[in-house]
Amino acid sequence: MTAIMTATASAAAIAPSTFAIELAGVAKRFGPRSVLADVTLRVARGARLGVIGPAAGGKTVLLKLIAGLIRPDAGEIRVAGRIGMLFQNCALFDFLSVADNVAFPLVQEGDVPAAEIAGRVAARLRAVGLAGSERKVPSELSGGMKKRVGLARATVARPDVVLYDEPTAGLDPVTTSKVYQLLRDDHDATGGTAVVVSSDVEAVATFADTIAYVDRGAVRWVGPAASLLDADDPVVRGFARGTA
Amino acid sequence: MSSGFSLRRQIVSVGALTMAAARDAGGIAVLAFDVARSLLPPTLDGRELVRNLYKMGYRSVPIVVMTALFVGALMVIQFAAFVKQYGATGMIGWGTGYAVLREVGPLLIGLMFSGRVGANNAAELGTMTVTDQIDGLLALAIDPVRYLIVPRVLAMMITLVVMTMIGDAVAILGVMLASSAILDVHPLTVWYGFVDNLGVGDFLHGLAKALTFGAAIALSSCYYGLTVRGGAVGVGRAVNSAVVSAAVSICFLDFLMTYLTA
Repeated sequence: MTAIMTATASAAAIAPSTFAIELAGVAKRFGPRSVLADVTLRVARGARLGVIGPAAGGKTVLLKLIAGLIRPDAGEIRVAGRIGMLFQNCALFDFLSVADNVAFPLVQEGDVPAAEIAGRVAARLRAVGLAGSERKVPSELSGGMKKRVGLARATVARPDVVLYDEPTAGLDPVTTSKVYQLLRDDHDATGGTAVVVSSDVEAVATFADTIAYVDRGAVRWVGPAASLLDADDPVVRGFARGTA
Repeated sequence: MSSGFSLRRQIVSVGALTMAAARDAGGIAVLAFDVARSLLPPTLDGRELVRNLYKMGYRSVPIVVMTALFVGALMVIQFAAFVKQYGATGMIGWGTGYAVLREVGPLLIGLMFSGRVGANNAAELGTMTVTDQIDGLLALAIDPVRYLIVPRVLAMMITLVVMTMIGDAVAILGVMLASSAILDVHPLTVWYGFVDNLGVGDFLHGLAKALTFGAAIALSSCYYGLTVRGGAVGVGRAVNSAVVSAAVSICFLDFLMTYLTA
């Protein structure tokens, strides 16, 4: 399907240079299986895009393509600025402490003074409610704590685009709510662009201003989060309401 | 018809195994090239190198010492009949030293190192792969080869050489002690037989093998760790493949190096 679908922070006309993420004609196959076919999508700077859809629809593959972890078989992907990513499994480095995990992106940059690294790590851990956990290792953390450390690491280098892959998978409703509050607070403070892939439609709709519905390798619908439950597409409407 | 079907299945199976072996050999060669390229210029994560040197080297010393002591002792037992028949007590140091320095030392320590360090490395990298930690590095624009693999390859090569040196020394000590206990040969007789007939070249020959074995173990374990698929079961398979591949590589390289320097 070829259609330019644009996720925007507002309804005003957007000039191409203001897009943080642009996908044009992107396709991806794994062996004989087509996972994404001819996806074209633009995400404006500062927008919060939620990507929803049924399992195995291509959501996570879409996110990994944007992150550059896998290459598309066709099409172009452009991302303006640096990327931070929170993985579904958190992807914390087992051999590093919480503080070292969060500091890792800054240390790898090579030109950030040690004092500044320490300060920014402390600030990030305070923001996610984990001050005092600096010396713990990932194996000592609960699922919710790992998510928060992952969030701190994904955002400590102040990336322009942050990608979240199922940020609340496996978490209880209370922790889910707290995590999305953290995402909102973070986004409000930094003003960057966010893309969240989630199966939790209700939760992601509280964070995102635009929703993209991905199914069978195609972006089937893009629209404001507020109008998701009344989407003109019956499949999308049914999925959002849980009646599909 | 059933025997024809069974033969066809066996041929297909052999073909599949051959293809898998060729794919893995090619993958290891590509990884070796990537490691070599990452060393030019040699930007290395020093902390990661030190961490691996400690984990692979320092912690391997006890088992290397134990292995080497028994290797030395069993060399004496194997030589005992020859020594008793010909009264060749002066040959003990030369014979066992030659075998230990040039062959048995690097080979057995290499195989033990593969089973301990290589397996652990494959398991660690495999777990990192299935838990997205490798993807985490890529998402931070960090080359996993430069950050993770190069320090491990260097650490394994360095530590296996050092372990072989320690093992050689302990094995000779084991020879001296066992000769005294089993053959009633004075330890100094063994020592003089060793130093009078063997030279630095014999010692370096073994260390060259150790360096090569270290590279083979490192590349094999890193390759299988990075290419894990299928969760915990996949990690187990990767560890098994890494150890088997390393063992085969060590034996082949040992044969090649011995043949070329004979």
